[in-house]
Amino acid sequence: MFVIITYDVGEKRVGKVCKKLREYLDWTQNSVFEGEIQKGKLTKCLNELQKILSDEDSIYIYKVENPNHLQKDVIGQDRSFDHTFF
Amino acid sequence: MNRDIFILSNGRMKRKDNTLYFEDEKGEKRPIPVEQTNSIHFLGQVDFNTSLLHLLSQHQICFHVYNYYGYYDGTFCPRNPKVSGFTVVQQSAHVLDPEKRMYLAKSFVLAGIHHMLRNIRRNGSNDTAYSDTILSMLDRVESARTIPELMGAEGHCRQVYYDAFGQLLKNGMEWHSRSKQPPKDPVNALISFGNSLMYTTIISEIYKTVLDPTVSFLHEPSSRRFSLSLDIAEIFKPLIIDSLVFTLLNNRRIQEKHFESKDGAVLLNSEGRKRFLAAFDEKMKTTIKHRKLNRQVSYRYLIRLEAYKLIKHFIGDEVYKPFKAWW
Repeated sequence: MFVIITYDVGEKRVGKVCKKLREYLDWTQNSVFEGEIQKGKLTKCLNELQKILSDEDSIYIYKVENPNHLQKDVIGQDRSFDHTFF
Repeated sequence: MNRDIFILSNGRMKRKDNTLYFEDEKGEKRPIPVEQTNSIHFLGQVDFNTSLLHLLSQHQICFHVYNYYGYYDGTFCPRNPKVSGFTVVQQSAHVLDPEKRMYLAKSFVLAGIHHMLRNIRRNGSNDTAYSDTILSMLDRVESARTIPELMGAEGHCRQVYYDAFGQLLKNGMEWHSRSKQPPKDPVNALISFGNSLMYTTIISEIYKTVLDPTVSFLHEPSSRRFSLSLDIAEIFKPLIIDSLVFTLLNNRRIQEKHFESKDGAVLLNSEGRKRFLAAFDEKMKTTIKHRKLNRQVSYRYLIRLEAYKLIKHFIGDEVYKPFKAWW
């Protein structure tokens, strides 16, 4: 499954959330992560995020069950990642 | 879904913020999501420290090291939590009993030959001479009573198979015979590099099961090497690596310019390696519908299933039938 996760959290927790998400997904923009992930892994990730979050924070998760249904257009600078070769 | 990471450039691999970062020679850092990583292949010169190893062991990530020429050097596998003395004892019992050992050794060989024939059939012309010759030699494999006898029969089949390469390769790639250490021409270089990758992939998969990678059947279980992965590679080398070599060469995705010659050895250059690795990675991720499991499984997972079947065989659950591609 392909997910896009965006977050809006208090300044103190931005770094923590970002670091946590970096373990699971690819960073695309400020406060936006995306990537392929298994259901179980996503649940694990969200549980861990829950521990960081405070009441006024929010995280949005957009799921695309079939990655073939995803069309992604980019305007301006595209930070495309090579996931396999470094 | 987890991916393999190939590090081709020189630099430093490190742990930061509980995830992986690769820092190249220019100091540019790139994060790698640790949860999405299956194993890491180091083909360049890479520095790391023990804190990286701690992270890798927490996530059960193996890393494989290759030398300057792309030959397999070794593997770091985290402490394996999957051990089962019972299975290992049963596995060893199958080596000690000549009859049981022959059954498994033959299974590996026959599955390998099945895939060789498949390659000839799929890539060859209408000429059936080669496959007929191999088919006529199958009796010798079936009736072999000792391991050396079996190895000999298998060697003869393989010889004919390699003779057929001349016909299977289009675009005038040079081919005489199989040569290794060092490979003498581009095709051999591809096969050698591919086989190294195959061994490491199988080691990674065996490590996820309770099998002991050093106790093997076709190859003599000696010390100092993971010979079980050589056994299983018999099945998958022709299926995965050889067919990949044909595809890449016949479609001109890899050409003469992707090789370099050094002291009589022909090796892939960095662009060639990258192309081969990309194709290999792609291949391992392709899925087929498994007839028994009734779901899509990737080539990589097929290897693990092979290990699971062996375990079942050892503990007397189900007789081992080697994997033979049916499509």
